[in-house]
Amino acid sequence: MYYKLPRIEYYRPKTLEEAVRLLEEVEGSKVIAGGTDLLVDMKTSRAKARALVDVNSIAELRGVEDLGEVVRIGAATKLQELLESPIISENLPLLRAAVESMASWQIRNMATIGGNLCNASPAADTAPPLLAYEAELVIAGRGGLRTVPITKFFTGYRRTALSPTEVLKDIIVRKSEWTGWGYIKLGRRGGFTLSVVAVAALARVRDGVIEDVRIALNSVAPTPVRAYRTEEALRGREVSRDLLEKVARTVVDEISPIDDVRSTAWYRREMSYRLALDALTEALGVK
Amino acid sequence: MVVEDPRSIVKRWLEAESLLVVGKSVERADSIEKALGRARFVEDFFEEGYLVARLVLAKVPHARLRAIDYSRALGVPGVARVLTYRDVPGENQVGYAIPDQPLLAEGKVRYCGEPVAIVVGRNPDAVNEAVELVELDIEPLPALLDPLEAMERRDVLVHDSLGSNIAFRTRVRKGDVEEGFSKADVLVENTYRTHHQEHAYLEPEAALAIPDLENRITVLATIQYPHLGQRIVSRVLGTPASYVKIVAPYIGGGFGGKDDEGPLVAARAALAAYHLRKPVFLYYTREDSIQTHPKREAAVIRYKSGASRDGKLTAIEVTIIHDTGAYANRGPFILWRATMHSSGPYYVPNAKVDGYCVYTNKVPQGSFRGFGNPPIHFAVESQMDRLAEKLGMDPVEFRLANMLRPGSETLTGQVLESSVGVHEALRRLAAASSWRTKRQEYERSRTGRFRRGIGAAVAWHGNSTSRGVPDWSNAYIHVARDGSVSVYTGIVEMGQGSPSSSHRQLVAEILGCPADKIRVVFGTTDAPDSGATHASRGTSVGAIGIVVAAGRIRSRLESFLSEYYNVERERIRMSGGQVVVDGEVRMSWEELVALAYTKGVDLSATGYFFLPKGAFNDDVGQGFAYPAFSFIAVIAEVEVDTCTGGVRVLEVHPALAIGRVINPEAVKTQVEGAVLQGIGYALMERLVFSPEGRIVNDNLTDYVIPTSHEVPVIRDPIFVEDLWEFGPFGAKGVGEMAFIPMPAAVANALSHALGARITELPLTPERVYSVIKQISGG
Repeated sequence: MYYKLPRIEYYRPKTLEEAVRLLEEVEGSKVIAGGTDLLVDMKTSRAKARALVDVNSIAELRGVEDLGEVVRIGAATKLQELLESPIISENLPLLRAAVESMASWQIRNMATIGGNLCNASPAADTAPPLLAYEAELVIAGRGGLRTVPITKFFTGYRRTALSPTEVLKDIIVRKSEWTGWGYIKLGRRGGFTLSVVAVAALARVRDGVIEDVRIALNSVAPTPVRAYRTEEALRGREVSRDLLEKVARTVVDEISPIDDVRSTAWYRREMSYRLALDALTEALGVK
Repeated sequence: MVVEDPRSIVKRWLEAESLLVVGKSVERADSIEKALGRARFVEDFFEEGYLVARLVLAKVPHARLRAIDYSRALGVPGVARVLTYRDVPGENQVGYAIPDQPLLAEGKVRYCGEPVAIVVGRNPDAVNEAVELVELDIEPLPALLDPLEAMERRDVLVHDSLGSNIAFRTRVRKGDVEEGFSKADVLVENTYRTHHQEHAYLEPEAALAIPDLENRITVLATIQYPHLGQRIVSRVLGTPASYVKIVAPYIGGGFGGKDDEGPLVAARAALAAYHLRKPVFLYYTREDSIQTHPKREAAVIRYKSGASRDGKLTAIEVTIIHDTGAYANRGPFILWRATMHSSGPYYVPNAKVDGYCVYTNKVPQGSFRGFGNPPIHFAVESQMDRLAEKLGMDPVEFRLANMLRPGSETLTGQVLESSVGVHEALRRLAAASSWRTKRQEYERSRTGRFRRGIGAAVAWHGNSTSRGVPDWSNAYIHVARDGSVSVYTGIVEMGQGSPSSSHRQLVAEILGCPADKIRVVFGTTDAPDSGATHASRGTSVGAIGIVVAAGRIRSRLESFLSEYYNVERERIRMSGGQVVVDGEVRMSWEELVALAYTKGVDLSATGYFFLPKGAFNDDVGQGFAYPAFSFIAVIAEVEVDTCTGGVRVLEVHPALAIGRVINPEAVKTQVEGAVLQGIGYALMERLVFSPEGRIVNDNLTDYVIPTSHEVPVIRDPIFVEDLWEFGPFGAKGVGEMAFIPMPAAVANALSHALGARITELPLTPERVYSVIKQISGG
């Protein structure tokens, strides 16, 4: 009974404009979407807010749409909706795999994809696939809309490119012909848990040559990260087990893990290599 | 002739045949109300307008406490009072084994998380705010966090007046170990380390204290022994016990944690209600709970054992060091139990065992399912596997060759005449689990990334309290005129099911009345003192009194019927709600009761049973240790991912020698719960301490326990019904059993998979992976 929300003002705007206006006008206000992180943090005093602006009633923030060249995901779309969306299964299987590993059915029915990104945890599960897909984030603010590539979105530990008066509106993913993907999450138990390391990989292989490849990880740096140098070392090369085993080691130089209650920096480095190797093996279709 | 003598009654029902209710999987009385969410726990009795209270916990591990300034806390609107040690009207002393522990810190604080004050207010917001405003004027002292260091230090003392950081010692001296080792053909020597474990019960600690007009006080609490709570509250308040009533409504899990903390949470709530003369609800947040309540023993065990070529143990030499934290709590009892079980269920002719219960500036060690036995069995059963390996013997065969049987002498020289079914249990288990085949199959396929292993572990666990410490059972039964039956017991219902299943079954069997006529009123000091619901005793010892009380009423009714029908008692049968004479139904249970009421038959009875015990010599650790032992053997199969170090338990096969099985389904659920809890302890659960000794992962995001993902295939237990002469119908305890061998079984299976042994728990992926790297030369 001590886990009580402090007294707060609560707003539930119907439009994005209204939400932005509230964030500007109401002092100490914060956006709430699913609340599965924020409410727990507020009840245990890890997060503070004087007012909450609930974005769940803003229709344009919800849903998954196939717009031909791109897939648009409303930021307040529930994780469970993503899991059940044929558009996601068909076009963004890597994202689906990550969402499938997240939390429980109950939590997935509350939590949103935008919330997962804006909370900016180094362990954010939707971040590695979206970093690999190079999603574009559409952000609404006083001046209208602006677009930020997800690779520029995470600016530091639990920090993002969002200003306090902005709202994440859409996640846009350009469709591309990937020939394979791999996703592996390592947690301390089989489910309902934060990752120790997770690796997402996407690849396009033509005639045995790696045309393009992307690798992203979480829980191994202050923010979720891409492994650009590893990608570079693979691009244009012929797919082979030897190459992979050699190059996957590069991942370790691109991360800066720490010791914490979940694991050690040493183990995270070791597993970043192992998981990158496994995810790439899957994505590249290496025998 | 009416039989009232407890021993005769217990013997009669031990020998009873053709049982109708006992031994059947009768549905629990509480299943529907729990499934529907109607069962009430302490917090459900909170009413609007009651005062709420929260603890102020120390944030330093070791310091002199010069003053507590709570003036700013009192300034928060809605705060009613802040209580410290100064407000304790009776004794500020709650140590169970050694008088070393204050209810609220006095003079010193000894661990991060130690309760220093209680803030009482009209709403949780005010209380939460005020808790942060209580300031401690302290003089920091060096903190001791490592028990091995603390043992040696004299310059820094956790308890100044004791002159040493060793709170308690135990010893066993049996035969001549030097001679024993000289006869050994193989020797194995290792140091084992085990860690703390958080109980992580669904319901954190809570107590609601309600004073009445005459300053009597009723406390509803999350507590495993209401009568102990009554004693502690009475001591703290300086009032007679009869002025204190403790009630344990349904409890959301205990596992021992609420045996230690239950009386303290009750006393703290009672203290607040005593001063404020209003109902006060004290509740621990999850963080407060993890920071403050005692944990499973963290142990360092040095173990040397020897065996002869023919596969017989010749000697053991063991040193057990328990990190008891800031207070002894039940640490001495835990160490005592670990020491007297340190041979495992095997015959050992020569033994030298030394135990040390050592103070540090950490959270206290306390009661937790297995009570000292899981770590020592981890050591024993690892040693047994290593010895077998060195001897070139099958680990199961080696165990069987040394195993206790009826007539064997235990580590403490106690001869067990009967109720020793462990040999048969392991033998049958090995056959049922295809042990030999799988063992060979997995050995052959020890290549590739995923490797499997199969391991065995056996455990024993003394029933009742240790040594000659008095233990008894008691209950009160009353049959109402309509034939409904009320059973009063101090045993609590914390999910284990003794009041909800076995107690009802025993009464239904003995009285011959329908089970749905029986209500068990549990967890109250209005019942006779039935002892604690701990040590797997809720049924094994806790229900002996129920057998005696019900047996008395049965005997009176039989005597009455014999006269009434003018037949010998042997011709009368009472079962299933009917009275049958010579095979003919004569009347229903209800008619019998109605008639008995008009004929002067006393249908109320108490059932006190005092357990006979023997002498024990503490100097050499020899003598009578326990009235009986429960036994278990488990075989576990694991799979290890050699690329990540991740271990999965695939299958667990249990076999139990626990005397009469009163309710097979209830036993199965205890086994399943304990197996999973044991897997959590073996593989993932780990408290992380900061360099200052503060628990860093004090929530269930950062402290992970197993979920449904980790549940292995758990085979139906094999039962060997090795009846115990004093147990209800011969039952022994089961609640803790499956936990005890699990860490060892998992570790042995993992060793089998890897061909390498890890002697420190938990077997986290990091630890396993680093061993794999070592053996592969990486």
